[in-house]
Amino acid sequence: MTTRPVGLTRDLPAGRVMHAQADGKDMVVWRATDGTIAAWDNRCPHRGMALSHGFVRGNRLACLYHGWHYDRSGRCGLIPAHPDLEPPATIHATQYGVVETGGVIWVSADEAPAPDDSDLAPLRSFIVEASEDALRDAQEATSADGAPPAPEASDRVSVLCNPIEPGRTQVTVLTAPGLPLPRLRTLSRWCEAMRRQAEAKETA
Amino acid sequence: MSLEYAKNDWYAVADIFCLRDGPRRTRLLETDITVTGPAEDATVTDDQGNRYPVQLKFDHVWTTLGDSPRPLFDIPEGDEEGRRRVPCGVVRVNCSPLRAVENFLDIAHFPFVHTDILGSEPHTEVSPYKVAIREESDEVWATQVKFFQPQAAKSAGDGIVTDYDYRVPAPTVAVLYKTCPPKPEAQDVIAIFVQPVSETVSDVWPWMALYDDASTFSEMAQFQHEIFVQDRSILENQRPVKLPLDPKMEIPTRADMTSVAYRRWLKKRGAFYGALRDGA
Repeated sequence: MTTRPVGLTRDLPAGRVMHAQADGKDMVVWRATDGTIAAWDNRCPHRGMALSHGFVRGNRLACLYHGWHYDRSGRCGLIPAHPDLEPPATIHATQYGVVETGGVIWVSADEAPAPDDSDLAPLRSFIVEASEDALRDAQEATSADGAPPAPEASDRVSVLCNPIEPGRTQVTVLTAPGLPLPRLRTLSRWCEAMRRQAEAKETA
Repeated sequence: MSLEYAKNDWYAVADIFCLRDGPRRTRLLETDITVTGPAEDATVTDDQGNRYPVQLKFDHVWTTLGDSPRPLFDIPEGDEEGRRRVPCGVVRVNCSPLRAVENFLDIAHFPFVHTDILGSEPHTEVSPYKVAIREESDEVWATQVKFFQPQAAKSAGDGIVTDYDYRVPAPTVAVLYKTCPPKPEAQDVIAIFVQPVSETVSDVWPWMALYDDASTFSEMAQFQHEIFVQDRSILENQRPVKLPLDPKMEIPTRADMTSVAYRRWLKKRGAFYGALRDGA
């Protein structure tokens, strides 16, 4: 499995849980109160409930269904129906690799290397109802003439794609750090133009 | 093969109220059917004009698609004098019919899914209870189940420890008997009759027979409906969608004795419709 961008660090504050998809896998990504992050198979080993509906208690993720707690290693630490029971070590959420670089959250099914540490800053992460190919075509078409709101070389725009299912792509856009707010707004408008064009092409 | 087995059970496909507005077009075991009222004299037909047997029982219209149906079970308590019988309408859930039944048999989720109604933290502990497959009736029974509940029923005031007995008389039906707050010597009866639309879509018909003179009919039905809508948020997010019968796929704990017995009983009967048989 390739390392895939699934969201922005700033969109996942401490104590929050999100659903992510990458390479056909359903994942839960969550951040403990102490700021550490984890990515697991989106399934409680007890009764198959999606852990992305769960909630964070301290440095553990609890399943919404029966409140079973899992620590950051994925091991079950509490079964509320039997609070005095030491949960067997075999009860374990399936872990994926997760790293954060440059404000972007990356996941992988194996110990894939982290992407090149970059000095770019995240602009936006969004879902496009289009294939990666359609998105790339739209990126090229909306950038070609160089007229506003198209990016300029000094913006150092980078567009990352995470194909989540046929005709659906998660897009993460990065820019040079420290761009002034009006420039970021313009580039945000360009993201919208790129999205509209990709989706129009997909439905055409 | 699993479909053939399922065809020989009876299923609720309408309640006594829903046919008043006209026939109900629905689907049972992937067969499109039409249920035409009045409920007392209902007919069930498919699109080829085949007519299926009908019974009116527990305020619902029941039918079967099979040639040699197993007899429809009874809930004798439902006929006791003084009870109010409340069909609660239908809830469509995108889940296996067997997952819907298993969830109904589960108490450990009350504090998390029915928070401050059927359970609340820190009262999460499930005490030991008894589970048996009764040979004479071939039913799963769980007895002496106890749980602390902040508001056990519409008629309950403060929190109480509620006693439950659970019963599975057919693969897609679960019945519970629980402490009746205004009448301690009796038990309220609540059931779900699951209409398997397909292996992954269920129409759930909750039904109650209660001693409750204070609440209106619609208050009682609304209470049960709200509970089931909370369950739906769980049932539509379980994976795999079908109920896994391979014990290695989902890890139970002591509180899940009823669920473990239910899965074994399904396997023993060959009731695989809505189940995942292998580790696939």
